[in-house]
Amino acid sequence: MNTLITILFLVFAVFILVAAIMTVTVKNIVHAALWLISSFFGVGALYLLMEAEFLGVVQVLIYVGAVSILILFAIMLTRDLEGSQNRQLTPRWWIALIVPAALFGILIVPTVMTHAWQLPPLPAGQPPTISGAQQIGTAFIREYLLPFEVAAILLLVAMIGAIVVAFEEREQRRRVLTLAEQVRLRRQQQQQVATLPEPAVSTVQPSEATGSET
Amino acid sequence: MTDILRSWIGSALPDWLIVLIAYLIVTTIVLFYAVGNFILMVWAERRVIARMQDRLGPNRVGPAGLLQPIADAVKMFTKEDIVPRSADRWVHLLAPVVSLAPVVMMLAVIPWGRGWEPIDLNVALLYVVAVSAVSGIGLMMAGWGSNNKFALLGAMRAVAQLVSYEIPAVTALLTVVVLAGGMSLLNLPYLQAGIPLMGATILCNDPVGCSPLLYTTLTSFPGSPNEPVQVLDLGLGWWVFTPVGLLGFVVFFIAALAEGERTPFDIPEADSEIVAGYMTEYSGMKFATFYIAQYILNFSLAALAATAFLGGWQGPGVAALANMGGPWVHVAAALSAFYLLAKIWILFFVMIWLRGAFPRLRVDQLMDFAWKLLLPLALVNIVSASLMVSITQWTSAQWSGLVNLDGFASWQRQLIAVIVTAIINISATYWILSINQRPKEEEWDEELVVAP
Repeated sequence: MNTLITILFLVFAVFILVAAIMTVTVKNIVHAALWLISSFFGVGALYLLMEAEFLGVVQVLIYVGAVSILILFAIMLTRDLEGSQNRQLTPRWWIALIVPAALFGILIVPTVMTHAWQLPPLPAGQPPTISGAQQIGTAFIREYLLPFEVAAILLLVAMIGAIVVAFEEREQRRRVLTLAEQVRLRRQQQQQVATLPEPAVSTVQPSEATGSET
Repeated sequence: MTDILRSWIGSALPDWLIVLIAYLIVTTIVLFYAVGNFILMVWAERRVIARMQDRLGPNRVGPAGLLQPIADAVKMFTKEDIVPRSADRWVHLLAPVVSLAPVVMMLAVIPWGRGWEPIDLNVALLYVVAVSAVSGIGLMMAGWGSNNKFALLGAMRAVAQLVSYEIPAVTALLTVVVLAGGMSLLNLPYLQAGIPLMGATILCNDPVGCSPLLYTTLTSFPGSPNEPVQVLDLGLGWWVFTPVGLLGFVVFFIAALAEGERTPFDIPEADSEIVAGYMTEYSGMKFATFYIAQYILNFSLAALAATAFLGGWQGPGVAALANMGGPWVHVAAALSAFYLLAKIWILFFVMIWLRGAFPRLRVDQLMDFAWKLLLPLALVNIVSASLMVSITQWTSAQWSGLVNLDGFASWQRQLIAVIVTAIINISATYWILSINQRPKEEEWDEELVVAP
C-alpha cells in the first residue's frame, strides 16, 4: 500500500509542477488560468492522499470554485488575450526572481530543516490523529477562537452589507416609465409647448403635434 | 459491496483489487441509475410540458412516445461534430467533459436507500457544494472556447448566476448542518424519523406494549444520545414539516432551480435572446453531454433537496420492515429507495410545472431575488435552526443557567422549539417580503410632471 501511495504522490506532484510551469510559460492568458486551475486540483488531490478530506474539499471549493472563476472573469474583461507579442518577461525580471527565491529561502528551508519528518510509530490500537473536520472545528473554537470569530464577523458583516447596498440602490434608481406614462408625458409636454407662446400659435402646430405623436 | 465481494472471492485476489472492483461496480450501478432517470426525465419533461400547453408532445415512437429519447440519442450519435474554425480546439473539446464530470461526482455521496450509499464521506455536504461549483469552469471554457459572442455572453450569465445563487443555497444547507450536527449526508435520513412536526420525540412508555410496527429503537436520539429509547416512528419526521426546515427547503429549492438553470432562471440559455448560450457552437455528442450534465445536475439537486429536507429515503413502513429483521431488511431498503425516487420525481415535476407557469426573469430581477429575498431569509433561518437545536438538546449547564428546560419531556421541548422558531420565521418572512414589495404605484399626478 505504501508503494501505491508513493506512486500516486509522484504522479500528483509531477502533474502539479507541470501545470504550474505551463501556467507561467503559456502565451494565452486563458490557457494559463486553466493550467492554474488544474494545478489547484492537483493540490486538492494531494490533500486527499493525506486523508485530509476537509482540506481537500475546501481547496476545491475555494480555489477551484471561487478564486479561479474570479480570475477567469477578470481575464475575460481584458483586451488582447492571446497576443503573440505579449512579453513573457518584464525588464526587471531579476527582481521578480529574487523576491520569491528569498521568500522561499526564509519560509521553506527552515521548515524543511527543522521539521521532525520521522514520526515515531503510533502505539498499537490507538487511531492515528487525522486533521479532519472535527479537529479543525475544535481548534477553531478552542485555541484560535478570536481570529476565527473576527473572520466570521467580518464575513457576516460583508454579507449583510451586500444586502443593505442592494436595498439602497433601488431607492436611488430612476423609475422607469411605462409606455402609457411616456405617451401621457409627451402629450403633456406638447400641450405646454402649445399653451406657452400663446400669441405665436400658427397653423403648423396641430400637424406637428400629430406627427410627433405617431 | 466490498464485504460481499470479499466473502465470494476474498482469497483469490489482493484486498485492494477487491475494493477497486467493488467501487467500480457501485459506480456503474449509480451511473446507470442516473442515466436511466435522465432518459425518463427528458421524456417526462416533453410530455408534461406539452400537456400543460395543450399539445400532444412526442407520441409516435413506442408506447406514448417512450422510445423518443432513444431515437434522439441515435440522432445525437450520428450527427456531424462541427468545431468552428476559429474555436480553441482543446478548450472547446474539454468543456463538456469538465461540466459533466463534477455533476456526476455529486451522485457519489447521496444515500439512495437505507444502507445503499456509495460512499460515506463525513464532509459530504461541503463536498457536494464544492463539486457543483467546479462545473462553472466547464461553462466558462465552453463560452470562451467557442469564440462566439452569444456563447461568451451565455457563459458569463451562467457563471454569474451560479456564483450568486450558491450563497443562498449554501446558507440554506447550513441549517441542515446545524440541525444534524454534522456534514454527513448518510445520517440525515436516520435523523428524520418519527412523526410530522414532532420528530422522534414521542417516547414509548410501556416497553412491552409498544408494537415494533409503530415504535423504533433509536440510539442516536436528540437530547439523549447515549441510552437507546423507543419512539413512535412513522418515518415522517421530515424537517420540511418544521418551520426551520420549511423555510430552508423553500430557499434551497429556489436556489437549486437557479443552479440547475431551470426555467424562471434560464437566462444563461435564453433561446430568444442568445441562441443557446454557451451551447451555441456545440453539436452532436458534445451538445448531448451538456444536455446530460444539466439533467443529471437537476436530478442530483432534487435528490439533495429530498435528502436534506424531505427525509431522504425515510417514509412510512421502512422502519417497521427493517425492525422485522431477516430478509425484510432488503425489502425495507428497496422500499426506501422507492421513496427517495418518488420524492425526486415529485420535485422534478414541480420543476416542469414552474417551467410551464413562469416567464423568464431579467438579470437584475435575478440578482435582486438572490440578495434581497433568499439570502436574508436563509440568514434568519440559521438563527432559528440554532435556537431549535439549543431548545431541544441543550442542558441548563450548556445554557449556562439562562434557561432551564431540564424538567420538560422531549416532546414538550420540541413543541416549545417549534413555536419559537415558527414565530421568528413567520415574522421575519413577513417583514422581508414587505420591505421587498415594490413601492406603491403613486397616482400619476398631472401637475407634477416635469419635462426631463
